[in-house]
Amino acid sequence: MNIKEYISSGIVESYVLGLASEEEKAEFEQLCTRYPELVAARNSFELSLEKEAFENASEPPGSVKQGFLDFINRQSVSSQQSNSTSIEKNMAQKSSPVRWLAAASVLLLVVSGYLAYKFYNESVNLRSELQNTKDAQAQLDSRLKTLEDQQRVIKDPKVSVVNLTGLPKAPASSASVYWDSTSSNVWLLVKNLPQLPSDKQFQLWALIDGKPKDLGLFDPQGEEKVILKMNNTQKADAFAITIEKRGNTAGPDLEQLQALGKTKL
Amino acid sequence: MTLLQQRDNKAFTYLYENYSGALYGIINQIIPDKESANDVLQEVFLNIWKKIETYDTSKGRLFTWILNIARNAAIDKIRSKSWQNDLKNQSLPDDVNTLKNQSVKMDTDNMGFKKVLGKLKEEQRTLIELSYFQGYTHEEIAKGMSIPLGTVKTRIRSALLQLRTMIEQQ
Repeated sequence: MNIKEYISSGIVESYVLGLASEEEKAEFEQLCTRYPELVAARNSFELSLEKEAFENASEPPGSVKQGFLDFINRQSVSSQQSNSTSIEKNMAQKSSPVRWLAAASVLLLVVSGYLAYKFYNESVNLRSELQNTKDAQAQLDSRLKTLEDQQRVIKDPKVSVVNLTGLPKAPASSASVYWDSTSSNVWLLVKNLPQLPSDKQFQLWALIDGKPKDLGLFDPQGEEKVILKMNNTQKADAFAITIEKRGNTAGPDLEQLQALGKTKL
Repeated sequence: MTLLQQRDNKAFTYLYENYSGALYGIINQIIPDKESANDVLQEVFLNIWKKIETYDTSKGRLFTWILNIARNAAIDKIRSKSWQNDLKNQSLPDDVNTLKNQSVKMDTDNMGFKKVLGKLKEEQRTLIELSYFQGYTHEEIAKGMSIPLGTVKTRIRSALLQLRTMIEQQ
């Protein structure tokens, strides 16, 4: 820092006249602590400014002076008053522990109210979360049970599998019948069947000596391939699936034969 | 100084008697209206009374500190709403550019700084008028006159230096 250059840059005048920015002010004041010549330059300008101001002084009206003197007199009177009222202050201070307690209890009330509200909200949230978890658990349990049942059927040595394959009407159709000839239980695993309008259902038939026996109506399954428990039959030469009217009670509509599978027997 | 900071009535009476004239001169240069200048002067002394503890002798002379209070109070006054309302009918120009012309007119006030200002170049005179007497920031002046901020700062500083030389030659 070349202090001479700094002094002659106009910063001294700028600072003294209040035109310097905050940054400039801070820098100037900092430099004043290190450079006596800067302080001297400031002082010298301040003195010329002061001289100039005094040379151009003009007398303000007496009313201003009176106003100001009245003000400072009132202030000093009121500061004396504040001394004489110190007894009152002391009394006010005595009651201050009570005020403290009151303030503390209000604060406590506000805080406990807030906490109660917060905990209540939290418990509501936890309860609904618990319910969600329970529901999900129940769903998983029922799915697991279904899968276990299917596994039991498939692995049972007494159960034989009859594969139903698609017929010309529906070549992509495919299903398996699991049939326990000892207990007569019949389960159906749908692998692929077309979607149906809502007034139609599939129906499983057992063909015994060329006659159909109703093994039950069922709806098309979605993506999930579930095993369905159908009506029992002791005998069957073949199993067949047709499309029927919803809740069909009449015989099979053989026109609508979807899949067929013969038993080994 | 200690007496002032203890809010000694006699010290403040002395302060008033000693400085009010010089301050009134400065305030009048910013506010030509006598009535308002009186109000400002009174306010200045109330402010001195309230803020005397914040005066730091290491940062400058007492008069400089008081002068800045006076200038700020006067500028606050001319910037205040009631002042602007009072002047409404006189169609006061409210942007910096038009204030230029006003400053030229005011040079006829042959008192104090303004007398010295008259000896400056017009551009420098305008800059001092706007920044010191009207309280516009360097940024506002730069924007209003479309001059780069750095240039405004340099020109104001060089104007101040000339002003100083003129004051000291008197």
